[in-house]
Amino acid sequence: MSDHELRGDELRGEVKIEELTKAFGEVVAVDGIDLHMPPGEFFTMLGPSGCGKTTTLRMIAGFERPTSGRILLDGVDVAHVPPHKRNVNTVFQSYALFPHLDVAGNVAFGLKYRRLSKDESKTRVADALELVQLGGFARRKPGQLSGGQQQRVALARALVLTPRVLLLDEPLGALDARLRKGLQVELKTLQAELGITFVFVTHDQEEALTMSDRVAVMNGGRVEQAGSPREVYEEPSTEFVADFLGVSNLLSGTAATDGNGNCALKVGERTFRAMQGAVSTRGEAKAMIRPERIVVEQHDTPGDNRLPGLVERAVFLGNSFELHVRVVGGDVLKAFMPNDGTAMPAAEGAAVTLHLPAEALRVLAPSPAPSEHAPEQTAEPVVSSD
Amino acid sequence: MRAWLRNPWGQPRALVVVTGGYILWSLVPVVIAIMFAFNAGRSRTTWQGFSFRWFTGPVGVFHDPALQGALKHTLFLAVICVAVATPLGVTLALGLQRWRGHGAGTVNTVMLLPLVTPEIVMGVALLLLFLKVFPGLGLGTVPQAIGQVTFTLSYVVVIVRGRLVSIGREYEEAAADLGAPPHDQILRVVLPLLAPAIIASAAVVFALSIDDFVVTQYLAGGASTTTVSMLLYATARGAPTPALNAIATVALVITLATLSLAFFVYKRFAGGGDAAVAAAMEI
Amino acid sequence: MRSRWTWKALSAPGVIWLSVFFLVAFYAVIAVAFGNEDTYSAPIPYWNPLDWNVGYMLDVLQDIWNRGQYFTVFVRTFEFVAIALGLSLLIGYPVAYYAARHVHGRWRGLVLLCLILPFWINYLMRMLAWINLLSPDGWATKFLHYTGIDQIFISLGLLANEGGWLDGQPVTVILALVYGYVPFLILPLYASLDRIDQRQIEAARDLGAGPFSAFRRVTLPLSMPGILAGCVLIALPMFGDYYTPDLVSASPKTNIIGNQIDQLTRQGSEKVTGAALTLVLSAAMLVLMIYYLRTTRSAGQEAAEA
Repeated sequence: MSDHELRGDELRGEVKIEELTKAFGEVVAVDGIDLHMPPGEFFTMLGPSGCGKTTTLRMIAGFERPTSGRILLDGVDVAHVPPHKRNVNTVFQSYALFPHLDVAGNVAFGLKYRRLSKDESKTRVADALELVQLGGFARRKPGQLSGGQQQRVALARALVLTPRVLLLDEPLGALDARLRKGLQVELKTLQAELGITFVFVTHDQEEALTMSDRVAVMNGGRVEQAGSPREVYEEPSTEFVADFLGVSNLLSGTAATDGNGNCALKVGERTFRAMQGAVSTRGEAKAMIRPERIVVEQHDTPGDNRLPGLVERAVFLGNSFELHVRVVGGDVLKAFMPNDGTAMPAAEGAAVTLHLPAEALRVLAPSPAPSEHAPEQTAEPVVSSD
Repeated sequence: MRAWLRNPWGQPRALVVVTGGYILWSLVPVVIAIMFAFNAGRSRTTWQGFSFRWFTGPVGVFHDPALQGALKHTLFLAVICVAVATPLGVTLALGLQRWRGHGAGTVNTVMLLPLVTPEIVMGVALLLLFLKVFPGLGLGTVPQAIGQVTFTLSYVVVIVRGRLVSIGREYEEAAADLGAPPHDQILRVVLPLLAPAIIASAAVVFALSIDDFVVTQYLAGGASTTTVSMLLYATARGAPTPALNAIATVALVITLATLSLAFFVYKRFAGGGDAAVAAAMEI
Repeated sequence: MRSRWTWKALSAPGVIWLSVFFLVAFYAVIAVAFGNEDTYSAPIPYWNPLDWNVGYMLDVLQDIWNRGQYFTVFVRTFEFVAIALGLSLLIGYPVAYYAARHVHGRWRGLVLLCLILPFWINYLMRMLAWINLLSPDGWATKFLHYTGIDQIFISLGLLANEGGWLDGQPVTVILALVYGYVPFLILPLYASLDRIDQRQIEAARDLGAGPFSAFRRVTLPLSMPGILAGCVLIALPMFGDYYTPDLVSASPKTNIIGNQIDQLTRQGSEKVTGAALTLVLSAAMLVLMIYYLRTTRSAGQEAAEA
């Protein structure tokens, strides 16, 4: 990227993780994962607590030693290099600002090892604080700052060292919703400006989708799927990914081909055409559809891929309605309908028909299929597509 | 009366009486002893008026050579003890806290042993050590200092470790992340954060040293190495003057002043009153 | 984190110090106890276990076995400590209970201060205070005489003569031990009682237990670890005490084991026997020491993991 080239930097901030494993005694926290973060990318590791994302991050930073595997920073394996010798910096979840130093002291902390003159140091600190919009705060103590401000100081402290890679461990977790949204935008902008590789860890899928160039969804020490936000959301390859990234209405049935290259999923008496996902699956399979893709229609609307049901609950979400519809067969599907000003589109107890468009219906493969997006919950390590 | 006693919402009267009685029984004798330090006459048991003579007079604490000597020696030992035990204890606490692997448990146990060993055992052990293993040193100031350091070391370790545990590893990790090698992590981050605990433990060592008796007596080497405690022991049953009360009072004031100072320092920097009380209770 | 040797190196000075001035010192006791005396009655330590001379140790053990002088002293020590411990609990528990469970707000700081203060007052000064008060013309002697309490003691055989409190009376020694050590019992008791969750007691009351019953069946059992720990904590120094009897009694009639060891080792020239006796005392104390270390270590670990 041009920013790097302008700085005359040959080191680009590319991270490659190969078969990385970390076991704490009997417990395997990270199970032989492979990941690739190209230079300048905003890469997020997303997953529930205990999935191994933080452990992986700490191994990249150097706070944990891998049990086996390699961590390549611009081609050099740093897995056994102590953290103070790696050119990666971390923004901690609790910020870890040194309480006995003021803001300027905190930000300047790492510069001591760069052998700069006092003036140069001062300038860089001032620049870093400007970057995070804390220009006048140099003399304040961390205890006097709000959460969001501490956050920025932590950021400035890391960025002032111009790392190739910045690691962020759920940095926005302790902030309230509005502040979080604001900082998400700021972080993204900052990253784009600086061109540094960001490795971001979070359990908040919305955050991951908003900010990332690519997302790796992790579960139980493995990577379930890695891809762009749109990919992992619209084209989840496993049930876990589908479920984690949003509401995933699931239909279980028997799959067969329909002659057109699509999947015909027989659910009870009905057959649904599914055009997405592992369409060549046969036998028992699941299909999912996102709630916003379901079309709520009048009761008894005819046509393919339709399912009658009764509205069990209609929840008002402000900008939309979430309908919980109990369909024939007993499942409850959730559908979103935008709030376009009309009164409740479907009242509780009303009978409706749900249209599940074939192009929105995605088949999830029950076993690993030989395709690019092929991860399986219980399968071997994933090589993410480049 | 019964109702007053049985009132379920009121203070249980019996306990109030017992506690109040205990506190009085515990502290009043000492207050009386302090009072008699200001006695105008020579008696320690009959009040003869108020006077400063046992402090400032010719045979008072500030002039009598024997009393002066004891006081000076006591303070001298205390300062040396703090100067040696504090760094020794801090480094041991740091090392123990982060030590992974074999030996840590053993070292920890050995560190705790002085806290539970009866002082006479330590006194005899150190006496024999200095008589037989280090005869060149003889008995006297240096062995006294060494003995005091040996048993106060553990207090420093316990206090500092308590604070280390509550600080956690995060700041060290952050420092390492920013490029600080391990020794800088300690010097620039951990030690400043430990400062309140270090001060508190220094004060505790100071107080323990001033009040110490058995080890100090066992390793004493003559009149010039007498401390206030030893003086009290030697002359308490004789026919001394209130000068004895006076010197005890002076030592007490110094001890309490040091501790109060440390308490307020700790409170200001570390966690408020509760933390300080908790630290005091560790002992 | 990474460089493990840093932490070991950091511990080294402290470890070396403790090894030399504690472990080696203790071994010196063993070496002397199993050593010999020269013509000037100075001890000769035998450092090599193969050379050990068990003569002196056997003498001591035989004396104890045959109910000789040391046996008497040991028994007296156990008696004194046991009674002192009992009295300390009797006084200390209610005080700790009150302070932990009934004192709130501003008062708590003040009460705690009063309870902690004796820690920092020189033990000998506290004894000095009582020596003054219990002298024949001391205020306490006069008070006890005036109220007739001393007559009660005399009739019980606990006091030999009017005003002779400081004349080799076991009762004075025991009470002095209580006075000296009860503050060291109250704080651990306080800590233990403070930790008991109020809600458990409320639950017991809710289920129908009266105040005494709730205390007996909930509070007391829950505070038992604290009681045991506190008792061990003061029993250990009590067993090694020699200065308390020296100060308030100064008579061989009240000699306890600490006095015996002191007389042999420091005041006298029978260091080998003194060392042997020290070993016997240490062995007897070992059980208590291990118990205390075990319980405080696990408590410390819990706190560290929390």
